[in-house]
Amino acid sequence: MSRRLFWLLPLALLPVPLLLNPYQQYVLNTALLYVPVGIGFNLVVGNLGLLAFSNVAYFGLGAYTSGVMMVQLGMPWWLTVIPAALVGGIGGAIASIPALRGVRLFYLAIMTLAFGELMRWTYIRWEALTGGSMGMAVPTATLFGWALDTDRRRFYAFLALVVLLVAITDRLLRSRFGRAFLAIKDNEIAAAAMGIPTDRYIVLAFAWGGAVVGVGGAMFAISVGHLTPVSFDLTELIRQFAIIMVGGLASLTGAIIGAVIVTVAPQVFISFPGFDELVFGLLIVLVILFLPRGLASLLARVHPAFVERYYRG
Amino acid sequence: MAEICALIGPNGAGKTTLFNAVSGNVVADGGSIRFRGEEIAGLTPHEISARGARRTFQNGGLFPELTALENVLVGLHAQVGSGFFGLLFGRRSAAAEASATMRARELLSTMGLAHIAEQKAGALSGGQQRMVEIVRALATNPPLLLLDEPAVGLAPAARQQLTSVIRNLARTRNIGILLIEHAIELVMSVADRVIVLNDGRKVADAPPEQVRADRAVLEAYLGHA
Amino acid sequence: MLALLPQLVVSGTSTGMLYALIALSMTVVYRATTVVNFGHGDMVAAGAYAVFVFGLGFGLPFLVAMALAIALLFAAGFAAQRMLLQPIVAGPHLSLAMMALAIGYTLRGALRLQWGNETINPSRPYPQDVYLFGNVVVTTDDAVICGSVLLLLAALFLLLQVTPLGKVIQATFQSQRGAALVGINVPLFHALMWGGGAALGALGGVMLSLITPLTPDLGQWTLVQGFAAMTLGGFGSLGGAVAGGILLGITEKLLGFYVNTVFIEITGYLVPILVLMLRPQGLFGRRAVVRV
Repeated sequence: MSRRLFWLLPLALLPVPLLLNPYQQYVLNTALLYVPVGIGFNLVVGNLGLLAFSNVAYFGLGAYTSGVMMVQLGMPWWLTVIPAALVGGIGGAIASIPALRGVRLFYLAIMTLAFGELMRWTYIRWEALTGGSMGMAVPTATLFGWALDTDRRRFYAFLALVVLLVAITDRLLRSRFGRAFLAIKDNEIAAAAMGIPTDRYIVLAFAWGGAVVGVGGAMFAISVGHLTPVSFDLTELIRQFAIIMVGGLASLTGAIIGAVIVTVAPQVFISFPGFDELVFGLLIVLVILFLPRGLASLLARVHPAFVERYYRG
Repeated sequence: MAEICALIGPNGAGKTTLFNAVSGNVVADGGSIRFRGEEIAGLTPHEISARGARRTFQNGGLFPELTALENVLVGLHAQVGSGFFGLLFGRRSAAAEASATMRARELLSTMGLAHIAEQKAGALSGGQQRMVEIVRALATNPPLLLLDEPAVGLAPAARQQLTSVIRNLARTRNIGILLIEHAIELVMSVADRVIVLNDGRKVADAPPEQVRADRAVLEAYLGHA
Repeated sequence: MLALLPQLVVSGTSTGMLYALIALSMTVVYRATTVVNFGHGDMVAAGAYAVFVFGLGFGLPFLVAMALAIALLFAAGFAAQRMLLQPIVAGPHLSLAMMALAIGYTLRGALRLQWGNETINPSRPYPQDVYLFGNVVVTTDDAVICGSVLLLLAALFLLLQVTPLGKVIQATFQSQRGAALVGINVPLFHALMWGGGAALGALGGVMLSLITPLTPDLGQWTLVQGFAAMTLGGFGSLGGAVAGGILLGITEKLLGFYVNTVFIEITGYLVPILVLMLRPQGLFGRRAVVRV
């Protein structure tokens, strides 16, 4: 995405809440919070090329960190965002340990998937903090004393955070770091032979990805207002996978498109539980078969402004 | 003027294993590997690469999804000195990136590869890929270049070009070269010194004419080449 | 405390047989295609639901319903490989894993669309009873599960070791290229093994429905338990999958009783993590790490 386009999009979004009813605003907020979720996931799976299925773990860690700190310590929400990022990032670093031990492909996928499930079990069992399977209510967020008590107010806070995260990640990916991630994906051994400390970069990608997703989790916590472990199960994992597959692997634009589609599309079928899974399953199948680089690759074909120099699937 | 040393021997003699030990891709069970007076056995590949011993691979050593230019930029990785936090807050990284890109283009054009800079490495011809890989390895001006069967699969014309490139590197840029090669005529025409390996042992270490004359070496270890 | 040990081993073996069957069905697909089917758990769940539909919905006798369900899942697995996996078989692993996940996700959505999030308790086709051996209680469920799985294992063993078809399957497991050279239709073989894996999984689903209520999310748990058993057994070994399943079942029960009940829930998550951390190649398997 070109620089100008990048800043135009959030600017164009600024007046949008005036046109939306509260429900539509909630949906838009959800789409926004899934942008960092998709970006973090895409960093590891798309750019670094490692099959890590633990994204939901970072998402849950971020959400619960934010929620628990608000409830237990009475902290304002904005102060919990950085701890949420930290805990998400630590979760990412932990999930990268098997990759450092040389575990790859399906083995890595299975281990990281088990890690995510273990975290979900932890939320269920650590009732004192999380309220167990019944869940916990998240208090109203405040931002510098200003109550984020409506979806419209949360929208602006979310927008600012997402712009920040996208800008930093974009910068990271355009630098030698982003190039090193792609090099590791393409040929790990050659990357090391070029002087890239591959282990350190794998940890960095996982940790940064986890931190970004963790912030998404903190946004999720105040957006839904009530956290339950079931929000972080394998079904959620596949929804997050749909973001990057449908949007486009290794593409920032793709993560944004994917977040919007994955959030908005199911609203159409909300009265039929299961229909969204059915439609998404089929959508992923079709994208893999006919558009392996996702919808972002269509955009890039339409106009060169959408070509992302260092992002490829 | 640096030396060109060729490593030859039958399949399974241990040439590539020796290479991998020098570049840190395998850890030797014992012994010592010294590079510019420093013990490098046990270091990781990226540490050895940073000390100035850079290698190419037998086949598919490039990053196929990256362009030729980006491949060379990865070769310059350590010299694009932007740290993670400097990157987030500073302005220096953009400048470092720009100057590295300029240098990478220069390097490609000195090898006559400027016209393919923006093409994906995976889509290049075998000869072009080999040249890009050499440019990438040389990007940091390393004192030692390890070439693992660079001539394999090349057409005669590309082989000729490769021969003169190798010779030039040693003669004019003073880069020491360790070369594994099966193409004997190439070895004999460029090498200053030939080491013959068999069954993991060194059985000869001499200038090419002497090795050529050593009938025993030829018969035993080159399979009557 | 120790007096309960035989009882724990017996009931652990019964659950373990079930895990063994599920892990075996996943291993068949993995060995044949080197793709781990991340949608397999949902296929198992679909098998369980299919029996329920054929049995209660259409009023067919249990065994007929079971046979139909197995046939249906065979066809589904075959078709999925043919139409969805085969076109991208040369593509990256990620796409293959995602495709399998998406197939499972679609199935799960279909189940939820039909039955919502309610649980279903299918009735057993036999009266539930208990038998006492000394002080060890064996339920009819235990007997049925162990009996059926053992019967099935014996049949599979004979199929693989004695029949010419078995020889072909074994040979193709060992070398796909070699099999292609001697004229075996490898893509067809892949599709058949997907079908076979799904059919075996459906049978696992039937057994599963004897001991646990059905929900559309049954497949998630099934998948994780299957992975745990496969990891214990060392990926890709059929015998290992069976051994791993039984070992997992017994371990769960012993840890759950002697250490803490939470282990009944989390052994399945811990096993793949711990085993692969200690031995990246699985307990009995070959190394699966990046080579230089």
